[in-house]
This record gives sequence, structure tokens and C-alpha cells, in this order.
Amino acid sequence: MAQYSVVVVVAVTLNFLLPRLMPGNPLALIAGVDVGMLTPDQRADIVARVGLDAPLWLQYFRYWGDIFTGDFGFSFRSSRPIVDMIWERIPWTLLITGLSLVVSAVVGVLLGALSAWRRGTKGDLSMLSGMISVESLPSFWLGMVLISLFAVQWGLLPSFGAVTPASDLEGWAHVWDIISHAIMPVAALSIVGTPGVYMTMRYSMLETLGEDYIRTARAKGAGERRVLFGHVARNTIAPVITVLAIRLGFAFGGTVIIETVFSYPGLGRLVFEAVAGRDYPVMQAAFLVFTAAVLVANLLADLLYPLIDPRTRTS
Amino acid sequence: MQRIKRLKWTVLLVVLALVIVGCGDGDAEEEPAATTAAAPATTAAPEPGDQEEPAPEPGDQEEPAPETTTTTAAPAPPPEPVTVRAAVTGDEGTLTPYTYISGFPGWNLLMLQYDSLMQLDAAGVPQPWLASSVNVSDDLTEWSVTLVEGVTFHDGEPLTSDDVAFSVEFYTTNPEASRFARDFRGVADVVVHDDYNVTFVLESANPGFDVVALADAPIIPRHIWESVELPSEHQFAGGTNIGSGPYMLTEYVDSQSYRFAANPNYFRGAPAVDELVVIVFADDAGAQAAIRTGEVDVIFERIPPEQIDLLDAQDPLDVILGPEFATQMINYDASIRPFDDVAVRQAINLAMDRQDFVDTVYLGAATVGSPGWIHPGHSVYNPGIATDVYDPAAANALLEGAGYADTDGDGVREFDGQPMSFEIITNASDSLRLRIAELTVEMLAAIGIETEVLPVDTGVWENAVWPGFDVNNGRNYQIAMWGWSPPVQADPLRLPWLVHSSLDRGFLNLTGYGNAEMDELSEALAVEPDPAERKAILGRMQEIIAEDLPFVLLLYPDGAYVYDSSVYADWEFIAGQGIVSKLSLLPPSARP
Repeated sequence: MAQYSVVVVVAVTLNFLLPRLMPGNPLALIAGVDVGMLTPDQRADIVARVGLDAPLWLQYFRYWGDIFTGDFGFSFRSSRPIVDMIWERIPWTLLITGLSLVVSAVVGVLLGALSAWRRGTKGDLSMLSGMISVESLPSFWLGMVLISLFAVQWGLLPSFGAVTPASDLEGWAHVWDIISHAIMPVAALSIVGTPGVYMTMRYSMLETLGEDYIRTARAKGAGERRVLFGHVARNTIAPVITVLAIRLGFAFGGTVIIETVFSYPGLGRLVFEAVAGRDYPVMQAAFLVFTAAVLVANLLADLLYPLIDPRTRTS
Repeated sequence: MQRIKRLKWTVLLVVLALVIVGCGDGDAEEEPAATTAAAPATTAAPEPGDQEEPAPEPGDQEEPAPETTTTTAAPAPPPEPVTVRAAVTGDEGTLTPYTYISGFPGWNLLMLQYDSLMQLDAAGVPQPWLASSVNVSDDLTEWSVTLVEGVTFHDGEPLTSDDVAFSVEFYTTNPEASRFARDFRGVADVVVHDDYNVTFVLESANPGFDVVALADAPIIPRHIWESVELPSEHQFAGGTNIGSGPYMLTEYVDSQSYRFAANPNYFRGAPAVDELVVIVFADDAGAQAAIRTGEVDVIFERIPPEQIDLLDAQDPLDVILGPEFATQMINYDASIRPFDDVAVRQAINLAMDRQDFVDTVYLGAATVGSPGWIHPGHSVYNPGIATDVYDPAAANALLEGAGYADTDGDGVREFDGQPMSFEIITNASDSLRLRIAELTVEMLAAIGIETEVLPVDTGVWENAVWPGFDVNNGRNYQIAMWGWSPPVQADPLRLPWLVHSSLDRGFLNLTGYGNAEMDELSEALAVEPDPAERKAILGRMQEIIAEDLPFVLLLYPDGAYVYDSSVYADWEFIAGQGIVSKLSLLPPSARP
């Protein structure tokens, strides 16, 4: 617990400092394009209004105050309450990152296991090289290819957004609208996310297959299925769970590139816009969400581990 | 035992999967909390005892008399409502005068809901709008405005002189909406004569008051805003942005879309487009894909030159082109060696193959820059300023004559014992500007000046060229690619801002330039009542700029907008502003 507290304090401090260490001036964003036409008085007024005239330590304590009150104030850019902005984005981000995490986990684990089981065969090697190629695909490029094929060329799926704007859809039509908008972003994320799981699974399983107890199990006459599920899978899954837990933590951060390519209204895009515009309060609040998510995912992994691997049980 | 273990493992995996799926699916069913504003009732009765005015007359004087069906034929079916879906790149906030974000297209979308006293016509000249007439005194200090009678806000309340005076007062006492506070800076008093007559009394002569203020600032209703204390944080929960304009914002979903309904009682006539849906894209590639698929009908942003022919070739897409007064230019720090030497600045100017920039980078969709700053299509352009000045031989001779020789034979000239070798800083996010910078390096190499492009983040670039957006902070660059948005040039009375040596008046003078005659002309321009005289002064200023080169203007990108002509085709291109305006969405008869 003490360990987690230290991490939180360090993370919050970094969240506060990072935006302020970036070059560039948030004044441009607050005042809009006409920033150069402000008188020095007007400029000072604006800086004071958003609290940037206060000494750094005071701003820092105010940030802690924000964290405890859950009120992060207003965005410099859109003048909207930041808490609202974040709550609006979280469901969309979780929808596409959550689904793609499941898809890449299932596909990655199955293919990884299959590959390791048939190690050295033509199938294993071609799958391995295939995965390496897929991993090297830039995700924005993949997104653009999907759009140009499925939206522009064949007209099967909508090319942008999370819902059809101003469509007034209700019931199942609305659900289908959301699904059809999520298909391409989920596909793109799943495709780029699968090789990592596959590699971990394959490597971990190869290691396990080389262990003495596997040879022992075979020697005492256990069937292939029994060896695979009873001995190999269980000893293999721990590193894979670690990879997935880390990904779950980062899932809240969304994915800047995919959300931008598909104009998807998630947290990643919010952060991208906030960074581009030096929107300090939005950056601070969003980074805090990411920090919390990563810590919770870590905690989850810590709690799951003993269930999976008895060797890590401390009692 | 084994069986139980296997079962436990399977259950664990399934539970984990379900937890993850649950997170996603559960939320999928939920509508994201949207800032949804109810459409204001256009038929709402005025508050009793609130106003002396009688209830507003429906319709207006310009609307044709209703047709009477005298034939026995079945009446024609009512026309299909026209919905136009427009793409923008980037959210624009809640679109009140205090929360819109960008000067373009944010201000343009804002002004769909509000009106200004004057409105630019297609030529970019201000015409009376909410005003039926505008008269200015000979000394340019008193601007008298008569309002069109019978104009109402979206909630049915009448728009009167009182709202005009209130708007000026509100903007100046709440200067967070910096643009509108600036518009009315220098207004000493607003005298309300009666409900429809009002006079702006200025502290000093301002010949451009019609362009910079009357055609720029939205008139806001007193009855909505007088109770607002923190306008930039006010959320108008449940209500909406009540203006007098042709459109009402009925729904806003942050970073996704805006929905505007036509105001059927608009005083110039009901809009031709019944519903406008503005869709927020994260980048322009997404918007271009969506217009190809037919998911949007127009893009409210300039399209890049390489897309013009591609999109135009696709049916039913069309591209409309027109002059915009945006600029691409070279800035240098004219207060340091060697750029303080006019010969060096002139040589750089002569070395620029402007036509090559237009052809190579913009594929023709730009206008060759005048070294005198003003666009050749502008009404105050001095035709004596040549734009075809490319002459690298003359540039080399000029440098040679001024003593900048290449003494060590490495192909790079020297000044004060140092090589003429500089960095050109530019913002990496603007790919066209980056390409201009790369060509500039080659062109400068041809006259013995070695340069290297330094592409950086926009914030870093701005901070080098214009630290803290305040010229009093000096500058931290040698050479920079730069550009101003159209309003800086559209109103030529802003020229002194760029070239006056006093940083108070020359608050956009980013190059540290100064010239005594220019300062005198700048001051004369500000108080000259006669338009012909002002044009003469501006003509002379252009000559000095072309000779003295406070900066090197390279080109003016043309505005290019793509739209689906099968959905709506009556787009009006306002010189210097483009197509995003209420004029485009009103029937041609209602335009000025």
C-alpha cells in the first residue's frame, strides 16, 4: 500500500510538471487566434483568470485540491467542465479498446499456443513471420487502408465517428449504429495488438514445453490434451496475464492514432487535442485518469497472480 | 483433482473475458452524456411587461406575398427539406461569443446564430445588415446606425438599440472574448436615440470601424446575457445560444457534431438549407474520405492543393475556388546582422522564384505574392508593384556589391567574418509551409546563403518568432517561415500593425523593422477620412515595403472548398472569408 502511495504522489507530481515543462504558451489557446492583438492588460487578465499567474507551488497545491474534490475546473480550449468532457469520452474509449483487447487476447493466445505446439513446422514459421510483419504495420496506415476499402471503395461501413450524427436512431438501430462505427477501429486495434500477445504466448509456451516436468508428464503416459491443458497452459498463462493487465491499464488512455484516424471521440483524441493546444487542466486531469487506470490494472494483476501461480502466494 | 484445476483455470479466463467485455458492452448501450440543448421555441410569447414593443410581426418585408392557388390542379407537394452535413476539423466549443474556439471556422459558425450590424458581401465589402443604414460623420468619430425594424431573437424578443448598446458594454466589460472587446476598443460612448437609432461615438477617427467592428461583432440579447457573470464558463444549461441569426444550435456533442435548425422567421427570409449538421473530424484526411463516401456534403475547411483535382473529378463533387487573404512569407530578424542590411533583404526577395512555389507546392492553387504585401486582387493593391521580381543574378550582384563575398571559396558568402549560414524555423505540422521552406533553401543556396530547415512543434515555432505573443519580448530566430490569417490583410488599415516601429502600434511587427516615413504614413492613414487619399497612402506604403522588405511575401494560398453539388450548390464565396457564412445558406434573394 505504501508502495502504491509513493507511486501516486510521484505520478501526480509528474502530471502537474510535464505540461508546464513543454515549450509553448497556453495563452494562444485561451485567447484564440487574436492573441497578438491583446493589450498587456488583457493578457494579464486572462492569465489571472485561469490561475496561471499564481506561483508554481500554489498551482501544484490547487491541483491536489482538484484531485480531492474531483472538480478539475474548465478546459482552456472549450471552456467546458473537464469532468464532463472526460466522462463523455471514457465509454467510447473503453468500448473500442476493451473489445480489441478481448479479440487480440483470444486470437493471440490461441495462435501463440498453436504455433508453439507445432514449433519449427512450416505453419509455425509462416505464422511467426506473418505476425512480425503485422506488428510492423503503422496503425494510422492500417486505419487509412481500412477506411479506403470498407468505407470509400465498398461503402460497407461508416468512415468516421462513434455514431451517425443527428440521426435520431433509437433501439436496435441505434445499437447497430454504434457497432458498425466500432468495427473498423476495433479491427485496426486488434490487428496491431495481436502480435504482442501471440509472441508472449508462443515464447512462454516454448519455455514451458522445454521444462523437465513436461517431459516427465509425457513419460508417465499423459495424453497430448492432458499435457497441453493440465501442464503447459497453466504454467504459460502468467506472463500473458501480465501483458493483458498492462494493456488493460493503458486501455483507458485510448489510442491517440486510431481515434484520430477514425475521428473517434475517445480519451486519446482528447489528450491529443489538449497537448497540441497546451490545455494544462485537461492534460492534468486526463493523465490522472491514466495513472489511476494503470495502477488499478497493476493491482488487479497482483491479485490475480496468486490464483494462477501458487508459487507467488505469499502466505 | 486435475479436472477441478482445469475447470478453475477455464472459469478464471472466462470471468476475465466477461469483465472486459462487460466494461465495453455495458457502456456501448449508453448514450454519451451530450451537451444537448433544447431547441428554443420560436413561437414563445414575449415576457409580459418586459418590453414596450408590440409582439413582433411574423415574416418580413422582403418575403414575397404568399402564392394563392387559383388552378384546380392538386397543390404542389411541399419541397423536401434540405439537410447539409458539413465537416470541420476540430471541435469549436459551445459556440457562444465567449466559447467559440478558432477564428476560422469557429467565428463563422458562431455568426450563423448571430447577426452583426453590417455583413461582408461577396466582394468583402461591408453592407448594412441588422442596420438598414450606417452614416459616418466627416471626422470619422461618429457612426450612426439605424436598425431594421421587426427583427427578433430566436425566443421572439425584439432586437433593439438597447441590445446593441448592451453588446458593446458587455464585450468591453468582459474582455475574455478578446476579439469583440478589441472591436469596440476606442468606443467612448454608445448613444441610444430610440429603439432603432443608435450612435457610436469614438475616441478618435477610425475609418475602418465598419469592417473591424460593425461587420464583425455579434449582437447579443440583453435579456439573456445581463444575468451572466462569468461568460466564458457559462454553460447555458437547458437553454441555448439565442441570437437573431438564420440558424439555432439545437444539439452539441463535444468533438462529434453540431446540429443547427433553420430560423424560419429570419428577417432576411427563411434559409435555403433547413438543417445544417456540422461534423467534427480529427483531421482533414478523415473529412476528405467522408465526402468521397457521401457521408458529408461539404468541407468547411480549405482543402489542400493536391486534393483539388482529385475531388473535383469525382461526381457529384465540385470545388469552388476564390481569393483568400492568407499569406505565406519569410520573416527574418531585421534588427540583427546581416538582415539589418537592406541589400541582404532585397537579395533574398530577388532570389525567390514565387511562381515556382505556386506551381510546385500549391499546384497552381495560389496567387503569386506581391513584395508590397497587398494581394493583387485587393481593392487597394498598388498596380505599380511588380510581382515577377525573380532574378538570382541581380541578387548575387547586389550581395557582391554590398561586400558579402565568398572569400574562402566554399560556396557560402561571409558577413563580419562569419559564413552566411542560418536556420529557417518553421512549424512541422504545416506540410505546405515545410515544402516552401525546403525550396527556399535551394533558392538561397543559389545566391550563396546557406540555410537549413528546422521543423518544430507549433508552440516552439510561435515562441521563437513571437515570444509570448508580445513583440515587446523580442524574437529568437534568424529566418522563419510565417503566415497571417486572412483578417490581417483583408482590412488594409491593419497594415501599420505589421510595420510601425513603435511596438505599441506595430504590435504584429515580428521582424524588428523600422522606417520613419512608414511610421508617418501609418499615422496619417489612421485619421484620413477620404477613401481615395487612404488608398494613395496605402499605395505608397506598399512601395516602401517592396523596396525595404520588412518581410518577404511569397504567395497567397487560394481558398478551395469541396461540396456535393447534388445536395446543395448555392455556395457564396466571400473574398477573404471563403464559403462558411450565412450568405451561403440563405436564398440568393436574401444576400446583399
